Amino acid sequence: MFIPKLTTLAIVSTLATASIPAIGYAKTVVTWWNYSNEGSGLNAALTEDIQDAFNASQDEIELKIFFKGEDVNEPTRTALLAGAGPDIITSSGSTYVRAYYDGGFLKSLEPYSQKYGWKDKILPWAYNLGVFGNEFYSFPQNYESMIYFYNKTLFEENGWELPTNLNEYESLAQKAKEQNIFPFAYGSSGWQPTHEHLVGNYFNTYAGPDNVYKALIGEKKWTDKEFVDALELLKKHMLDGYWSGSLEKYYANDWDGFSAQITNREAAMMQIGTWGFEIMEGFADKKDDWGWSPLPVLSDFAGNPNYQLSIGGTMSINAASKHPDAAAKVLNWIISDKNRVLEFTAKRNYGEWLLPLKFETSDFSGSVDQRIRDYLVDFAAVTGAGDYGYTTWTFYPSQAGTHIWKDMESVWANDISVSEFLEEQQALWDKARAANELIPVGER
Amino acid sequence: MNNIRSEKVASWFFLSPILFIHFFVIAFPSILSLALCFTDWNGFGKIQFIGFQNFQELFSDRVFKKAVWHNLIWTIFFLTVPIAVALLGAFVLTGVKRFQLLYRFIFFFPYILASVVNCLIWKYLFHPKYGLNTFFDDLGITFFENSLLTQKETSLLAVGFVDAWHFWGFLVVIYITAMYQVDESLYEAAEIEGASKWQKFRYVTFPSIRPMFVFSILIIMIWSVPAFDYVYILTGGGPAYSSEVLANYLHFQAFRNMNVGYASAIGALMFVYVFIITGLFGLLRKLDWEI
Repeated sequence: MFIPKLTTLAIVSTLATASIPAIGYAKTVVTWWNYSNEGSGLNAALTEDIQDAFNASQDEIELKIFFKGEDVNEPTRTALLAGAGPDIITSSGSTYVRAYYDGGFLKSLEPYSQKYGWKDKILPWAYNLGVFGNEFYSFPQNYESMIYFYNKTLFEENGWELPTNLNEYESLAQKAKEQNIFPFAYGSSGWQPTHEHLVGNYFNTYAGPDNVYKALIGEKKWTDKEFVDALELLKKHMLDGYWSGSLEKYYANDWDGFSAQITNREAAMMQIGTWGFEIMEGFADKKDDWGWSPLPVLSDFAGNPNYQLSIGGTMSINAASKHPDAAAKVLNWIISDKNRVLEFTAKRNYGEWLLPLKFETSDFSGSVDQRIRDYLVDFAAVTGAGDYGYTTWTFYPSQAGTHIWKDMESVWANDISVSEFLEEQQALWDKARAANELIPVGER
Repeated sequence: MNNIRSEKVASWFFLSPILFIHFFVIAFPSILSLALCFTDWNGFGKIQFIGFQNFQELFSDRVFKKAVWHNLIWTIFFLTVPIAVALLGAFVLTGVKRFQLLYRFIFFFPYILASVVNCLIWKYLFHPKYGLNTFFDDLGITFFENSLLTQKETSLLAVGFVDAWHFWGFLVVIYITAMYQVDESLYEAAEIEGASKWQKFRYVTFPSIRPMFVFSILIIMIWSVPAFDYVYILTGGGPAYSSEVLANYLHFQAFRNMNVGYASAIGALMFVYVFIITGLFGLLRKLDWEI
């Protein structure tokens, strides 16, 4: 009699114990796949400042971030094709969003955008990049632009001024070379698409953003004179050794190499994306100081100095997600607090996780480097006034986007002419336009 | 009769796991890939049948033509340099009595290193600022002033050299294994006849290891087609496509250009080439060639 009672008691207590976690942990699990960068501490920072902070902020949803190697696009693509994948999808940029959207893998964020007021929080140009078929599908994880960094102390010692036109640009380069200093630090070893940064710079500062815009929307041809002249100029400067001394050395130079060039006085300047703020940290243990400025315009018809618009990384919700509402809450948590965004991106040296929100001077704490704050505020003001250009990696369709950097090498090697190169570009744009594969540009 | 039948059933039974895996992991995806070369699939969206358009575009694609030419150069390079060096190395090693195992290990060591490691070592050695140039520049030799990997005239052979540096140790091992199986009495007879070292190699060693030699030629001809990792890591096919090869171009089209249909067409042509090579060797074997 005693034993059956004991057995019943044991079963009941076991079931009761088993049910406690079921009740206590009845959280909705939201999964998120992200690219991994152990070396820079990204994984630990995302886990601590996003995953753990979000989980501690509420008790309904459990966010789980999984790191999928350096290239998150490949495993994501495979998973999506298999009808699986995470709730929150991240990608490298607009090209992938376009492809995911075309494949029907993304859930429309339009109802969430309206519910949480995302359109009012995100910078309009960045918001528009996520709009397909009049509905919002993705928002940028980061925004970037191309700017000048320079060794301020070196400039002051030599009485150099930042160039404001082509003559000054070439004259300054000549002065630097006469002192055995490279005009610009840069290189493409380890990241072949680096060339597109230079192509974009010359398109936007020589041909000008108005012409680039017209070409993007099909009102102008890429084979027009302004673009041919811009790339002829880039070719001339490249073969003159503006970047790291020669084309061959530019090809051999990697991130560490050109970072050392600018901080060690081997080079005077660097035209790079705003992720270059990270490189400027290298000046911390040097006697020299650094500065930044927008890129100078190099022709009479290029308009005002401008910031090229660019997003680095996107976030969307998987159409196959079983918990889209919970995933949307996670996204809303991320973008709803500007201070939290600024704190987190500061930890990433403003090279990552700089969400394109409407920042104002008052949003920054006193500890933020004034130069970085100036850039962020100036970017919002200048682009708000309509002086903005377009980066190739954000606004170009897939094949035209790869051609712009891959085949630029053929131009520099004299295998094809600039005109032939741009004819191939135009053909790829025509093909993408016919297939409705273009990235939304937004009216200028 | 029943025994024979049950043996046949048993053999198929034991083969079935590997056949099952082979079908779903290799055969089925391969057939699917062949089908994709007639489509414009971008890897995500709808699949549209476009007939032979991918092949038509391929034959007018300047990069594809370059890649085919480079694969040919690559094959010729691997059929000559590593084979010659490995034959010599293996022959010399067979005469070494002391520390032979150590030498064998030294020769084979690069082969067991991951390709990424090999590539990083040589990328560093070729680097104009840190590598061989720092040593040779002091001697007034400017050959390494620029990285051999970043000049379009040298990039393909530089990548081939690095790959061969890791590969030739493998050839040494298979040749040396074959050389140890040569009947010792043949060497003794040659010795009595007063044959030189070269004559012994030419008339005894080489004919005796011919099957292994032909096998090495076969695998080099086949393995040269999907050559990828060293090109991808060291140059990405550049500069200006000067080291572009078919497998790297296929990867670029599939994963960078999101042009999976086109990439499949490249893959199909690579398959046809390998099929012809293996078929040719099979035919020669049927014609009683000793291979």
